[in-house]
Amino acid sequence: MNIGYVLRSWFKLRGRSLEQVSFAARRLTGMIMALYFLAHVIDISTVVLGKDVYNAFLGVFTSPPAILVDLFLWAALVIHGVLGLYSLIVEMGIMVEKRKTLLAISWVTIVLLFLMGTWVMMNVF
Amino acid sequence: MKYRVIIRKYKTEWREPKYVSYEVEADPDTSVLDVVEKISLEKDRTLAFEHACHHGACGACGMIINGVERLACITKIGEVARNGMVVLEPLRGFKVISDLAVDKSRMFKQYALVKPGTHEKVVVTVEVEKLLDCLECGICYSACPIANTFEGYVGPSVIAMAYKSSSNGKVPAIIDSRRGVWACHGSFECSARCPVDFKPGETIMKIRKELLFGKLQVV
Repeated sequence: MNIGYVLRSWFKLRGRSLEQVSFAARRLTGMIMALYFLAHVIDISTVVLGKDVYNAFLGVFTSPPAILVDLFLWAALVIHGVLGLYSLIVEMGIMVEKRKTLLAISWVTIVLLFLMGTWVMMNVF
Repeated sequence: MKYRVIIRKYKTEWREPKYVSYEVEADPDTSVLDVVEKISLEKDRTLAFEHACHHGACGACGMIINGVERLACITKIGEVARNGMVVLEPLRGFKVISDLAVDKSRMFKQYALVKPGTHEKVVVTVEVEKLLDCLECGICYSACPIANTFEGYVGPSVIAMAYKSSSNGKVPAIIDSRRGVWACHGSFECSARCPVDFKPGETIMKIRKELLFGKLQVV
């Protein structure tokens, strides 16, 4: 089984239900955050190269364009977290028949949390 | 009306599958299966596909029609064609034998794993009449992102059948395992695509709930 087949199975969206779209979103954001975690481990590891190297590297993440990356990561975190809660409930067999309503509430919550986070990043930091 | 039907063809001696296009004259109410048979009779005698009952009872003609798993015999071509075009592909998650025909032994083998054997019970037990609701078409396997990628997964329909055929609040141990209900990630595509509304996804979650709350035991 090749990786292309696996990815096409996980992320097939054409003609699929909201549940499948949400499954794909949860899985994709999980992968993004795992990669981010890896990148984060690498970036903090630069401290072993000295204080100046570390500070210079950190400067990249505090530059204005980096806010777009932060927003992207915030979106991934919110999608993964909220859909994770939905999944926790439904996959325990609770509210299975009401899952479409629960899923709709989850996506509305995702949008609201993303907008709140965006406002905070734009106005506080 | 004229339709352009594109079929994914593959023979075991070929290195790669290829998509072959056929122009077919058909009424919009004609079933996709009838169109495939017309192609087979008039345009391509090498075309391989499965069919039997022609009225949505046997589950043999499951295939992917314009990206979505359906039974070709109860799908009208006019309802699924996009700009007069229909793409037909074999079910995913199974080995392709030839063109649109797949080897479903991966699914049927699981019946032997589930104890008591559901096939035997269908014959002798009245309560298992409900099992006949499942066509064993394999569409749920094809639609499920986990069954597609995890060969050891018992599979949506078989899990649901094992549960519905169980008695005394007990299910086979394999159901309560990584290969059983705990492999499911709740995409519910099995239920969304099931042509007879067998609801395997909902049944899997029901089994989980009963296992978690001690209402169901394993044998």
